[in-house]
Amino acid sequence: MLKTRETAAVRVETPLGPSAGAVVTPIKQAQPTRGPDAESRAWVSGLAIDGSGGQEARARLHELLLRAARFELNRRRGSHPHLRGGDLDDLAHQAAGDAMMAVLGKLDSYRGESRFSTWAYKFALLEAAVKLRRRAWQGREIPLEPEHWAVLAGSGESPESSAESRELLGSVAEAVETVLSPHQREVLVAIALNGVPIDVMAERLSTTRGALYKTVHDARKKLRVHLADRGLDLGDARDAEGR
Amino acid sequence: MSDKPSDRSLLNALLGPEGPELTCDQCFAELDRYVELELSGADADAEVPGMRAHLQGCGACDEDHRSLRALVEAEST
Repeated sequence: MLKTRETAAVRVETPLGPSAGAVVTPIKQAQPTRGPDAESRAWVSGLAIDGSGGQEARARLHELLLRAARFELNRRRGSHPHLRGGDLDDLAHQAAGDAMMAVLGKLDSYRGESRFSTWAYKFALLEAAVKLRRRAWQGREIPLEPEHWAVLAGSGESPESSAESRELLGSVAEAVETVLSPHQREVLVAIALNGVPIDVMAERLSTTRGALYKTVHDARKKLRVHLADRGLDLGDARDAEGR
Repeated sequence: MSDKPSDRSLLNALLGPEGPELTCDQCFAELDRYVELELSGADADAEVPGMRAHLQGCGACDEDHRSLRALVEAEST
């Protein structure tokens, strides 16, 4: 069984870790003429000052990141009733501190394609969300067997089930067992079926969200190819319940 | 009311989104631009292809997206 381990949530250089190869795809870069607005330029120039000269900008940045971390934790506190106000405030400060390091470490990569505040917020939101998920799963065992296997195996029919979707689910269940590697099966089942947060799973396996999602992506692709080779129409069956 | 997930949600969770999608790192790198495009009324999905599919496939990145959008919206009101 996987064990709990407390580690830093996010690396400065690659917040979500290496993805072991791109899943896709060309991304349109923003228009190069746009550039950052005046307020964003002021943020960057202030933070670029070393020593006491940049102290005020860094203090303002910490304040901004702490506000974002508290926003995230307040949004999610209803799902985590066991966490008290003091716990949440501790998490907010930890998240703001780690986000501060990430933002300052990646300042050179800010391209001005959004407001600086929006760019910085995402680091604090990520840190707060990851810390909250990991705290919520601290000490809990990761369920690696499908909790909904009865449904997948076809014995959990519900009134809204269609014959098409039940047949496809049965084929998917078989393919999960026979087509995927043990690692792919373990990861896909835990994350996609059992609702284990990907960041929690990544921590237990000493890997990253990006690398783990690549495993999920490859497993899904393998399943879709296998099912298509068997002549199953995935699009029709997946849409069947909505008809 | 049943806690049992629907066939459709199970199939979507297991088989993931159709078509190409961004990686988690690419998603994070583009998230701020994507959110501002969305909130400005621009066609964010055309500007950042693969983002929508990734958000459908990755629950954690989807939560990050919802949070950033909510925060930027709240800050602008």
